[in-house]
This record gives sequence, structure tokens and C-alpha cells, in this order.
Amino acid sequence: MPSRSSRETIRAQIRNKGDALTPADREALLKPYLPDPADLTTSRSARSSRLRSKSKPRKTPIRTFIKSQIHRLAYALTHIIFGIVVRLIQAYHAVVDRILAIVYHHHRTPELIRKDVRSLKRLPQHLSVILTLRKEDDALAVLMDEVAELTAWCTCAGIAQLSVYEKSGVLKSCIPALHQIISTKLASYHGTSQQPSLQLYAPHHAVHGPSTPSAANDITCLLLSSTDGRETIVDLTKTLAEMSQNGKLSPEDITPELVDAEITEITAHPVRGNGSRASGSLLKAEPDLLLVFGPFLKLDGFPPWQLRLTEMYCTGDRSYGATGDGEAVEYQGFMRGLWHYAGAQMRFGR
Amino acid sequence: MTDSIHLSRLRKWFLASPPIEFAITNLKELLIGALRQGPIPQHVAFVMDGNRRFARSHGIETVEGHNLGFEALARILEVCYKSGVKVVTIYAFSIENFKRSKFEVDALMDMAKVKLSQMAQHGDLLDRYGAKVRVLGRLDLLKPDVLAAVNKAVDLTSRNGDRVLNICFPYTSRDEITSAIRETVEDYSTPLKSTNGAGRTPFSESHITHNIRAQNLGTKPHDMSSDSDSLSAESSTNEDDPILRNDYPHRVYESGSSFSSSTTLHLGQQDGHPQKGATQGNTSDPAFISPETITRQTLSDHMLTKGTPPLDMLIRTSAVERLSDFMLWQCHENTEIVFLNVLWPEFDLWHFLPVMLGWQRRISKSRQNPEAEGNFAGDSPESSEEDLDARALRQGKVKGI
Repeated sequence: MPSRSSRETIRAQIRNKGDALTPADREALLKPYLPDPADLTTSRSARSSRLRSKSKPRKTPIRTFIKSQIHRLAYALTHIIFGIVVRLIQAYHAVVDRILAIVYHHHRTPELIRKDVRSLKRLPQHLSVILTLRKEDDALAVLMDEVAELTAWCTCAGIAQLSVYEKSGVLKSCIPALHQIISTKLASYHGTSQQPSLQLYAPHHAVHGPSTPSAANDITCLLLSSTDGRETIVDLTKTLAEMSQNGKLSPEDITPELVDAEITEITAHPVRGNGSRASGSLLKAEPDLLLVFGPFLKLDGFPPWQLRLTEMYCTGDRSYGATGDGEAVEYQGFMRGLWHYAGAQMRFGR
Repeated sequence: MTDSIHLSRLRKWFLASPPIEFAITNLKELLIGALRQGPIPQHVAFVMDGNRRFARSHGIETVEGHNLGFEALARILEVCYKSGVKVVTIYAFSIENFKRSKFEVDALMDMAKVKLSQMAQHGDLLDRYGAKVRVLGRLDLLKPDVLAAVNKAVDLTSRNGDRVLNICFPYTSRDEITSAIRETVEDYSTPLKSTNGAGRTPFSESHITHNIRAQNLGTKPHDMSSDSDSLSAESSTNEDDPILRNDYPHRVYESGSSFSSSTTLHLGQQDGHPQKGATQGNTSDPAFISPETITRQTLSDHMLTKGTPPLDMLIRTSAVERLSDFMLWQCHENTEIVFLNVLWPEFDLWHFLPVMLGWQRRISKSRQNPEAEGNFAGDSPESSEEDLDARALRQGKVKGI
């Protein structure tokens, strides 16, 4: 780390467009801060270091030993301190989380949720969430319930498009059952009379739900899994390679626009069963906000192409310990994500 | 107000005084040495965001902000390489950035040129201490003089050690993915060279066809089909009609061999003049590698980051929480993404340390308990049970929590 005075010299030199110092001067200036060549443990320098060790036998074995022991001690100490700090922060967040959970409870009332989002400056049009399948026996039921809750909150908040990513893709195999569960949940929020209609689909699967949108707070729900990520791009490459081999396409025709159009086609358009009007409710291809319900921000195979400008928010590591995997999907986590997206601060009063 | 200015001056003076500076330097060395004791990410990416905002908030020129950003980069590179990170990837310039004001783009280009040519001036120094510099991106969008500086720096450092600095300079990830697809398609649509096709596979396909044909001629076709029908549909297509079967895969889906359908028709010639048969097949109907052999790995190998370890950590400063078209392909699986609320010119070891410590904690935890969330199975060496126990014991001792 160059000292302040030499840093000033370098800056002055930058201002003078590089005339103040010759390369030799700069090297002289930097020399004290460069590591000793003998310290470099790269394989490249193996030869030279062997030569060196031959010429002068190992100089400071004791000093090296003490140094490494000090480093080991420092590692232990920093991790102890860091661990304590992390635990304290986690405890603080857990308390805040519980308070928020009490203050902001939705009570299954759309009006309350609507009131919570009313003050927000902007809302995502297309919300994405990453959920994890737990390891208990009823994991699938829990997961489906979480999807249903999220869908209900979105309808209340006025978010029209939701995509749910779950790595294994287990949700895709039970779309009709999931549709049933979500519909029941929606009815319990909105009442059966003004229940919003739901379109549920997955790439390469038919749309499940009414084909004609009826009410304003309809929701389109897309299920994604890890096969919609890299695999889709690989599949596209295969198709393009085949076309190119048959002379139907030249490699120069492959542009970002083409790839974008093709990938958007797969994930973003609800493929209607009758195919009559496909442009009715187009899903915005790129999600505006990605909520990660997990201890830290890891995308876990979420389709990469669509993520270009997506804001990401991780609900964070609060309920540390006992279960270890996955984070409960709770309303305050959802709300904090929306607050974050709107650039608002969370408040302890409604 | 004046108070705070005086205080900050006092603080600066205090921090710049030799004993304090010495102590801070040593403390940093100690912390980096301590970091080395634990697991270290092999590949870290940075989005250097906030130079302009820093300049605006401190009332200095934008260009000056970028210069300070470069200093921060040098600082953090030092920390990374000293602590054992193998590859650092930085997002220096996006293709979209060409839309910024001409003055700023020119200044940035100028800075890149100056820095790169300075690097080139220190050729031997870089040889001894430096890392390999690689520039990723659309180099064709650069001006010739900048491109020359880039090439010179890359050439000079190409023989350096195992540390790599990837500079993404006119880069966007979508462009990278598209180029990877395009290159893969180009690779797969160049016909296979027919030098000595027989050496590619241990079995000669023409020989197999010959055998099947001989078998089929020997057995009664009706018996054959009824037999295979009762077994399975698949086997019937396999053995039933060799000519139809062979015709299809030979034309396009030839995997690994350059024989084509025409060679099967001249079986007699084939034995006598294998070379001739192969070339004949190639000119009339070129053989390709089957597109079905394209995998994620194929595409990864065509990405600009090929040959580097998987991305372990991506850090973006200045509290902007999106990727902005950076490393989409590389970071969407096991990478830990960290958004920091600090402007890039202020970024230092003190911000980097908690991130590294958190990563080390998580890694050692996932190694202790591979079932837990956040399991980076990729880089944890598989260990026997007692080894695991010993490590758990050690870690328990080390962390004490």
C-alpha cells in the first residue's frame, strides 16, 4: 500500500499527463511496496526459487514459523469476532423481523395490503421469486402454499406478473393441482365473488386458466426451473447449429436481438391452447425485481439471459440455525423487497 | 461545518503520520495473512460502480473520479492477489457506455491507454510480480491506438504467472453469450476434415453395416420383424432396416466419424481405397459433428472467461443492486453476489474483509455440513469421514462459535 506522500506524487504526475516521472522513477517509487520476489509462491518461479535456496540456505525458519502461527491466530481471532458480530446482527434482524411481522400482518385482507403499497413510488410490473424446496416430507405442500400466498399478495398489491423459480422443477409437474390451490387461496383473500382469474403456465406447457382476462387484478404466473436457464440456451444453440449445418442460416445472422427474441419466445409468451390471441397478456420478459428467499444472494441457476437489468433483493439470513435450508416466505419479507425496490425505508408504524 | 473540516484534516494528518501509517500497513498485512489461512475464492469479479457519483459528491471532475477509481482498483487487486485469489475480473467499460458523453468516453479511453502503456513500460517488473492481463470484450469497437495499447499489454504479460486479471472492456454479457453461440455454431457447421477417418473410432461403421446386412440377408425378414416387435419397438428400428437407418445418421448426425452414406454403397471399394471413399463422401455430402453433443460445457468453453475457475463471488459497489449485463452466464449458478453500499473509489480492505470472512464462514460451514443451504460443492475437496471430523473439531476450536 503506497504511503500518502508517494500517492500524492503519482496523482500529481497523472495530472501533468505523465511528464513528471519517467518509468524508472515510478519503479523506484513503487519498489518498497512490492512483495519480495522470494515470497511469491508461484509455480512459475519454482526454478528461480530453487536456485535461490541453493545459493543461500533457508534464512529464517523460526521467523517464518512464528509468522504463520501469528497468521493462524489472527485468522481464529478475526473469525471469532466476526462470528459474534454476525450473530448480533442476525439477532437484531430477527427482532426487527418479528416486530415487522406483527406490525405488518396482512390478515388476508386485500385492503390492508393495498394500503401498504399505496405509498410506494414504484412497483415492479413483473416480480420474480426464488424459492427452495425443503427437505421435510411435506416440502411440496409447503412450497405450493408459499406460491399461493405470494400470488395472493401480488394480486392485492397490483403486481400483474409473477414468476416463480424453483430449481428442481417439481412445481411444473403438478400445474393443475397448483392452480387449484392458488385459486382456493385467492378466494380466501378476495372472496369467491370478485376472485381474480389466474393464468398459470410453464415454458413448453400449456396455459392453465381462463383464456380471456376478466378483471383488472388478474395475475399471470410463470413457473421456472433450472432447465430454463443454461439448458434453454444450449437447446437454442443446438437448433441454430443444425440449421447452419443444413445451410438454412449463416452464423453471422446470430445477433443478440435474435437470441433475445427466441429466448423471450420460450419463457415470456403464454402459449394459448387454442392459439387464437397470443398477444393479449404478454409477460414482460425481464423481471423488474427478483426476491431471493434465502440466507444470501445466490441465483442457483435462475435463467441468466433475463436477469440483465433485474434488481435483486435477498431477504437475508435471519432464522439462522435450526432448519438451515431455505427461508420461510413471509409477508414482511415480501414487503421489504417492495420497499427496497421503491427506494423507501421501512417504518415501524403503518 | 468548519469543525468537521478541521477534524477531517486532523484525521488525515493523523493517519498520514509515519507511525500510524506503519501500524495500519502492518495490520493490513496481518489481516491478509490471516485470510490466507482459510478457504479463498478462486475467482472474484468486481463491478466498479460509483466513480462518477463520488466525483459529483466530492465536487471534482468526473475524470478525476475515474482516476481515484483506478487507485482503488490497484488497492483491491493487491489485497486479492496477496490473499490468494487466482483470477480477478473487472467490469471496466460496457458497450452501453459508448452512449455517454463523448468527452467522458474519450477520457476513459485515454486513461485506459495510459494505464496499459504504463504497464507495458514496466515489462520486466510485471514479469516478476504481475499477473496476466487479458482484455475481454468487443475489441473491434475500440479505436486503433487504444487497441494497440491493449494488444501490447496483453502480449507482454501473456507469459506471467498463474494470476489473471480479466478486464472487461467494451463488454456486455448478452453480447458474450451471443458470440459464444455464434462461435459454437460456426464450429459445428464446419465440415469434418477427412484426413484419416478410420482412426477416429475403434470400430468401422461400414464394417458394422456390412455385418448387419449380411445378418439380415441370412435371416428371414419376416421372422426378424415379428421377433423384434415382441421385444421392443426400439430394437426393431435398430435392426430392421439398416439401409434406412444408416442413411439418416450418416448425412448430418455423424458423430466423430467422417464416413458418409456414399461410402456404405461402395463397400467393396472401401476396403481397397479407404482414402478415396472418404473424400468422395465429403465432397458430395459433408459430415458434421452432431449438434446433440453441444452441452453447457461447450458453451462455457466459448465464453470469454474460458479456462478460468468458476466465479465464486461478484461484488458490486455503490448500492446498485443489479448485474447490468455483467457475467450473466458465469454468475447465475453458485456465485455469491454481494452488493455494497460504498462508492468504488472508497472501496478498500475494510469493506472487502467482512465479505471475505462471510464467505469463508459459509464455505467452512458447508464443508462441515454438506447438506446445508449454500453448499458450494464445486470447490470443496471430498474428504473421508475422520478427516471431516478432524476438520469440524479444528473449526470448532478455531471459531469457538
